[in-house]
Amino acid sequence: MRAVFKFKTLYLMMVPVLAYFILFSFYPLARGLVISFQKYRLIGDRPFVGIENYASILKDPFFWDVFRNTIVIGVGIFVINFILPLLLALSLNEVASSWFKKITQMIVYLPHLFSWVIVGGMWILMLSPDTGIINQIIQLLGAEPVSFLSSDRYARIVMIVTSGWKEMGFTCILYLAAIVGINPSLYEAARIDGANRWQLVRDVTVPQLVSTMKVVVMLNVLGILRMFDQIFVMRNGAIADKVDVIMMYTYQKGILEFSVGPATAAGFLVILATLIITYITRAVIRYDEG
Amino acid sequence: MLRSRKLFGSVMSVILLGGMLAGCSANGGNVPPANGGSAAPAQQDPANSEERTLKIMTGVVGGKTPEENVLFEKEIERLTGIKVSIDKPASDYDQKLLAAVASGQKFDLLQVSKEKMNTFIDQGILTPLTDQLNASKILSDPSVIPAAEWEQVKTKDGQIYGIFTKYQGGTMPIVRKDWLTKLNLEEPTTLDEYYAVLKAFTERDPDGNGNKDTYGLSTAGMYEVQGFFSAAGLKQRYVETADGKLDVPYSTDAAVPVYEWLNKLYKEGILDPNFATNDTGKMRNLFLTDRVGMITYWDAWVGMLNNTRMEQDANTAFEAKALPGAADANGSHMLRRGDPDVWVIPVNAEHPQTAFEFIEWWHTQDGIMLGSLGIKDNDYTLDNGKYTLTQTGKEHASDHGVPFWYNSNVEAPFGKLPGVQAAQDLVNQYASLELTPPNWSEAEKIINEYSFKAILGEMPAAEAVKKMREELKAGKLID
Repeated sequence: MRAVFKFKTLYLMMVPVLAYFILFSFYPLARGLVISFQKYRLIGDRPFVGIENYASILKDPFFWDVFRNTIVIGVGIFVINFILPLLLALSLNEVASSWFKKITQMIVYLPHLFSWVIVGGMWILMLSPDTGIINQIIQLLGAEPVSFLSSDRYARIVMIVTSGWKEMGFTCILYLAAIVGINPSLYEAARIDGANRWQLVRDVTVPQLVSTMKVVVMLNVLGILRMFDQIFVMRNGAIADKVDVIMMYTYQKGILEFSVGPATAAGFLVILATLIITYITRAVIRYDEG
Repeated sequence: MLRSRKLFGSVMSVILLGGMLAGCSANGGNVPPANGGSAAPAQQDPANSEERTLKIMTGVVGGKTPEENVLFEKEIERLTGIKVSIDKPASDYDQKLLAAVASGQKFDLLQVSKEKMNTFIDQGILTPLTDQLNASKILSDPSVIPAAEWEQVKTKDGQIYGIFTKYQGGTMPIVRKDWLTKLNLEEPTTLDEYYAVLKAFTERDPDGNGNKDTYGLSTAGMYEVQGFFSAAGLKQRYVETADGKLDVPYSTDAAVPVYEWLNKLYKEGILDPNFATNDTGKMRNLFLTDRVGMITYWDAWVGMLNNTRMEQDANTAFEAKALPGAADANGSHMLRRGDPDVWVIPVNAEHPQTAFEFIEWWHTQDGIMLGSLGIKDNDYTLDNGKYTLTQTGKEHASDHGVPFWYNSNVEAPFGKLPGVQAAQDLVNQYASLELTPPNWSEAEKIINEYSFKAILGEMPAAEAVKKMREELKAGKLID
């Protein structure tokens, strides 16, 4: 208590931040948990119904459809968002020209700054079967145009690739920052031992990036089940069954149907699943071991 | 020095916390003072002893900007004597309505779609208005709202919970009449004739630019294709069968020929290949930029499309015209009537009588002029009974939530835009409401999935319909 009093100014300065989290994160979370056990009405009494909302979600075949989509697309995005930025960062690290490196970094980082409304709209235009640049190139090569965004075959791939394209720059910056922090004496020592360029990358750079890779893995894992914006913007009726994810399901239940109880239950299942996946991932990658 | 730093830190913390809490207060903005105005307020119902104040949440009724919304509130007070606070979110209305009501905010009146009204009725959160309605001299007058219209909002037990905010139109195929004339084509009536016209629009260079860059038809996904399913006599969304069961006509075998017809259009490049990803804005733009000869959309848009092109070029040949859709074997047409928007009074409204009084007023001359033209001396001026739109009024296109109304005693001061009346006549003649049960969004997903598969040729139409039906049954979405 004396320590609290001693640092009272610091504690006082924490109050707004704490208040913010209590008001906008913890309180809604606690209320949400309560609602997930209620038969929710917008006005009036909301009787408790035990686990009925959870049971209705788990029995709903649509939930399992979107769960499957979430896992397939989420894992795809996870893999692409892990590998591509790493390759890009390692490649950029080998580039001697400073201006080229900076311009490339800026170009690949830019899409991360735009919202999915912009990026999704752009890709819808680029993938258009008649006027989209991708199909114009395909037609130049003598092939038939492809309806990427209305075809079951390509729908998930498009979601994965466009997400990789958008987020690659951000993850790449994390890797590049870590590469800059690698002790130069390690490279010097390796060179003295006769290591060539490839060996420097394989035996010095990559092992030194392991802790950053763990952070990237954890960040990507946390986001797997929370996909929404991209799907909301880029989906359409033709591919909805292939790309609708759990958060779209909660949106449909909660906002379109005003079935707030089941929607909240689905939301808590997402939180629970994220907790489990995160815990397993932490254990597998030995996150706490640095 | 240290003490003054501590003091500064403490003061800053308190200010930050205070600022945040102030931002969370229920009424962050001040409600502007009432404008006495010159017009005499409407007479208060003597049976109404409530405080004459209302809190309303609306999606489209109100000012076009937050500033105009304040003027809108003042204008209501000037005309009715009711002090009004209107919460009109700029976007995501349903989401904000849900958040506001669920968080405990009390509203006297809500503007909602019929679909949402049904959800609210299921939750038991709306006040039934049937008795008040029957007792209302204004609203029970068939010249104000035609008696048959009430069927749209009646529940199975005959109760009415929502009262129209405006006249809701319908949807239909809209064709480039000038292209028909140019190519010497008649207005199509059957699916075969529609095919011939749409093919001609695609192949006979109707825009005369020498390039094959036009499509016969564009849609925004499966949105509003009722005009073609009319050929098979099939209603969009749900219908109730004679034995009281719910069914989805688009999932019946009778729909197969229409899917096959749409697939033929797609295969032959007559249907815009982007139809699956189009939103309605893109579809309209294709029509306005001479890329497409036919779209399927709302009656009111016939006029707006014509007006847009006329504003760009007063001598334009562009002419959009509404069509009644494809006739079935008996020569009948079937169009879609839009779900009406309604005023509803929540069960926890603090001023339900005043709210009903407002709804009655909304259907009078003053209410309609406010909902259409807007605010006097801001959107329009009135001089010796002659209405003149101001520049603001022109920009607001006579729509403050009521572009069209039921009350036949109230004349539109500036008439209707070209083509609208003919389109509305088609709606009145052929359009009817479909049923939209609360789980419609789940059914819609299945219907869309297999409809697209059939149209895009990924699955034979008969198989798509069979699977659609199986999944609807498995999901207990049809009886």
